[in-house]
Amino acid sequence: MKANRSGAGARRPLIDGVDKVTGKAQYTADLPAPNALVGRIFRSPYAHADIVAVDTAEAAALPGVVAIVTGQDCDKPYGILPISQNEFPLARERIRYRGEPVAAVAAVDAETAERALKLIRLKVAERPAYFAAADARREDAVLLHDNKRGNLEREVHNEFGDVAAGFARADLVREQTFRCAEVTHAHMEPHAALATYEPERGHLTLHSVTQVPYYVHLSLARCLDMDPSRIRVVKPFIGGGFGARTETLNFEIVCGLLARAARGTVRLDLTREETFLTHRGRPESDIRIRIGMTREGRLTACEMEMVMRGGAYGGYGIVTILYAGALLNGLYDLPAVKYDGYRVYTNTPPCGAMRGHGTVNARYAFDALMGEMATELGLDPIEVRRRNLLKAPTETINGLRVTSYGLPEALDWVERASGWRERYGKLPKGRGLGIACSHFVSGSAKPVHWSGEPHATVILKLDWDGGIVILTGASEIGQGSSTIMAQCVAEVLGVDWERIRVVASDSLVTPKDNGSYSSRVTYMVGNATIDAAENLKKLLVEAAARKLKTTTEDIECLGEAYRAASSGETLSFKETTVEALVGTGTLTVKGTFTCPEDFQGGKHRGGAVGSTMGFSYAATVVEVSVDEVTGLVTVERAWCALDCGYAINPLSVEGQIQGAVWMGLGQAICEETRYENGLHTAANFLDYRVPSIAESPPIEVGIVESLDPNGPFGAKEASEGPLSSLPAALAEAVRNATGLALRELPLTPERVAGALEERERERRAAARKSAKQPATEGAV
Amino acid sequence: MQALAIHKPETVAQAIALHRAGESRYLAGGTDLVPNLRRNIQKAQSLIDITGLAELREIRAESQSLRIGAGVTLEALCGSDAVRAHAPLLAEAAALVAGPTHRVSATVGGNLMQDTRCYFYNQGDWWRTANEFCMKCEGDTCRVAPKSDRCYACYSGDLAPALLALGAEVDIAGPTGNRREPLAALFADDGMRHLKLAPGDLLVSVDVPAQAGWTAGYEKVRIRGAVDFPLAGIAVALKRDGDRIAALRVACTGVNSYPGLVPGLDALAGQKPDDAVFAALDKAVRKEIQPMASTLVAAGYRRRVAAGLTRRLVQRLYEAAA
Repeated sequence: MKANRSGAGARRPLIDGVDKVTGKAQYTADLPAPNALVGRIFRSPYAHADIVAVDTAEAAALPGVVAIVTGQDCDKPYGILPISQNEFPLARERIRYRGEPVAAVAAVDAETAERALKLIRLKVAERPAYFAAADARREDAVLLHDNKRGNLEREVHNEFGDVAAGFARADLVREQTFRCAEVTHAHMEPHAALATYEPERGHLTLHSVTQVPYYVHLSLARCLDMDPSRIRVVKPFIGGGFGARTETLNFEIVCGLLARAARGTVRLDLTREETFLTHRGRPESDIRIRIGMTREGRLTACEMEMVMRGGAYGGYGIVTILYAGALLNGLYDLPAVKYDGYRVYTNTPPCGAMRGHGTVNARYAFDALMGEMATELGLDPIEVRRRNLLKAPTETINGLRVTSYGLPEALDWVERASGWRERYGKLPKGRGLGIACSHFVSGSAKPVHWSGEPHATVILKLDWDGGIVILTGASEIGQGSSTIMAQCVAEVLGVDWERIRVVASDSLVTPKDNGSYSSRVTYMVGNATIDAAENLKKLLVEAAARKLKTTTEDIECLGEAYRAASSGETLSFKETTVEALVGTGTLTVKGTFTCPEDFQGGKHRGGAVGSTMGFSYAATVVEVSVDEVTGLVTVERAWCALDCGYAINPLSVEGQIQGAVWMGLGQAICEETRYENGLHTAANFLDYRVPSIAESPPIEVGIVESLDPNGPFGAKEASEGPLSSLPAALAEAVRNATGLALRELPLTPERVAGALEERERERRAAARKSAKQPATEGAV
Repeated sequence: MQALAIHKPETVAQAIALHRAGESRYLAGGTDLVPNLRRNIQKAQSLIDITGLAELREIRAESQSLRIGAGVTLEALCGSDAVRAHAPLLAEAAALVAGPTHRVSATVGGNLMQDTRCYFYNQGDWWRTANEFCMKCEGDTCRVAPKSDRCYACYSGDLAPALLALGAEVDIAGPTGNRREPLAALFADDGMRHLKLAPGDLLVSVDVPAQAGWTAGYEKVRIRGAVDFPLAGIAVALKRDGDRIAALRVACTGVNSYPGLVPGLDALAGQKPDDAVFAALDKAVRKEIQPMASTLVAAGYRRRVAAGLTRRLVQRLYEAAA
């Protein structure tokens, strides 16, 4: 299969890569709109308050101000999950975090819009505000949402297998607490939207940075109370998503509201600070975990309590807290699990989905403790993982189906590549190796808005010119989805690469797609694309048979030609196309993909979350050195092997894995969102420390191909799975280097140096004590 | 960012003549000033672009010193043979400033005279309004030390400690004439007014005396290997005589509102670097520095690590000088 230079398995540079690196690509803020008004958002300085008045009279009177909208202009709450829609694009009645949009202005230029913001008067009655999950959960705490007791968005209590028996059977039981700081996506492109309202026809067009144009379309229709057929949503080039844009964001609706109020075009470019405040990142998590293990290193049971500080609104919160529990399974053979999850409302910007949704922090705690226990039992941490492998195909205790499983090969690869056997435990002082594993879904088997439609639909258009156009709603967000679809078509049809073009994410012309989240695109849209290409091929084979006066069985597809095997006569692709169009005209064919119901998870409440048709599997080894004076952890090297089923584009898979390693390291060593009285203190790229290229270690990537029985050409996801193993692998490497188990992320120099000093103090105290002891005895 | 008039003088005299107190600011690389103007924390009606002043862009080796124009970019400083030969410490420190794209335009003068920093101050309009401002800009309370009557914004330049350790002097031109003074005299212990400059004063050059017999080094603590300002920065210049320290100068940054030489080290001259000497050094450093909660990284950590780094750097230079 790997022979085709542009089909499945080819190392193709991304189809839109040249446009990006030459600066030709137009992002939302680049789109020409010469007469666009400039939009700006007025944000709350208060963390928790009842709105008494939003006085915009003075601002509205400022010459050059064309429109002002407030919470009065939209009374429909929105939210990605139909069961927790409790957010308004502009706060109504109540403000719940510092930075929440309260009003917005459209003016003739930026200076006027900014002056207008300063003329808006907000009167409030403040309420007690909670910035820590524990404070919001206190019995006497004021509720952020009146229908959510204890400020809990969702409690999850699940038990699978016999947990008590599992712990009873264990030779070693250990319990620890872990804490992970809140992190955010830090995508390169700040948020931006451009909306045009045509008052004559009542049509609205929104260009935005979204990963999910369909959900944005739905929310616009809901919040603007418009018929969706009057709305068009377009996603131009976008500079990264990582989950930040997998739900409708307030500025997208605000831009639509402003354009309608101004009866024209409004450009709303957010600053970096506003992009940080819009957030939807990974929540601060407090984790208590207990694991049971036999002397031989077999897992017997696991108990986890997970508390997530979710922020002010629902968003994806319920899914996040469910994912954390569901994905405790599916990686290792874990016979019993008890999971208690608490998603807490607090007066901080709302959290959401972020690469490795829900599972990253839980996996960190699990794999770090697993490593600590291996050491205690005198077992090699890789060997312990080998003793707990699953055997595919299988179904986990919580109803997840595992149909392909390349974790054993991934472990072998990192063990070999890192020189683990020769080097682990033998490195000089201050240097260490650590390992962890992880997995992730290839698309959620049950979509958020279950409508009975297929999970993915792709259209191929072939016209007289011989050009094949892929029409897809899947959002290319830099992950390479358009390239993968083109390679699927190239593989099935065998045509020249240049014959294929991709038109993506314009609701006017492309079919609906749920969007780019939960690593669903390659698996689901890839399968739909293959289906569409097969359908097109069938028409071309029929046309060739007709023209060459033979049977379809006799026709061979040679890609750029069709040949009758019996006569040896051939038709060029162009001639075949001309014949195929006779009597019917332009060909449009459709392909679809649907996840069968038996993949859609366990029967328990929330059981759909975590369900998928294929899990990716990763094993990661990290090597670090630790500076004893500064506490600085330097990542010297990283090795990551990923079972992505099959690499449709190995170059792209390598890029995704390297990116995941880098992003995981960021969370592990330096990224941290902090609030001071609810005010984001690191809403910029100087204080929110994304690793620079100087921190990027050499990353060696191994691709394991387990050939998933249902994936497109056997492929599974390749982007989220590897990330989750990074924090634990890094923490384990630091433990190996220093002897210290550090259970709070990120492992900043401050934290590491603090732990080293603490140990030194304890040693000195112990030494003093033992020095005193004999003297006392002597005196007696 | 508001509209600004930009002047482009060709000589130092023209630049000074164009300056209006309270209205004008000199602009070189702009890497410090422009973000501050954008955030509305520094204000100006006009900018005097001094990048066209040839005099400011010169690096000249003189008989007893090296003269470096204030407009020399950090990239040029790193790449200069004269600097590498006469004062490699400067190239070492300059290479640790921000990232390569900053160093292309950032200048020696701009780096020396950069504004002090504090996370309550280096924020956008909305943030500072929501936080009810601070003493350094539009408010009257220091958010770092609310009871204090002074501002504790932190000086964070990397070149200043290196130049202080090398005993550099500065040439300043101004409306009332030219003067030369030790670099240390330029700075004051005040987060709001950390530069002792009169309106219109323009730093023309720094003069680094010949460094025969000295070895020197700079160490900077930061979380990332690029971009970050120092959480603590230590420059050391040391002369060794046999198994003794003949002379020692230590300067720090990122730990006070000014960059300063650690006083009281003369007593260590002529001694063997034993535990007692290091204990005294440690004490002297801790006495000089007073990091405050002006960064997201705790002051206590910065204080401890500054002392630890000094010890390590002195040890390393002492051994290297053998």
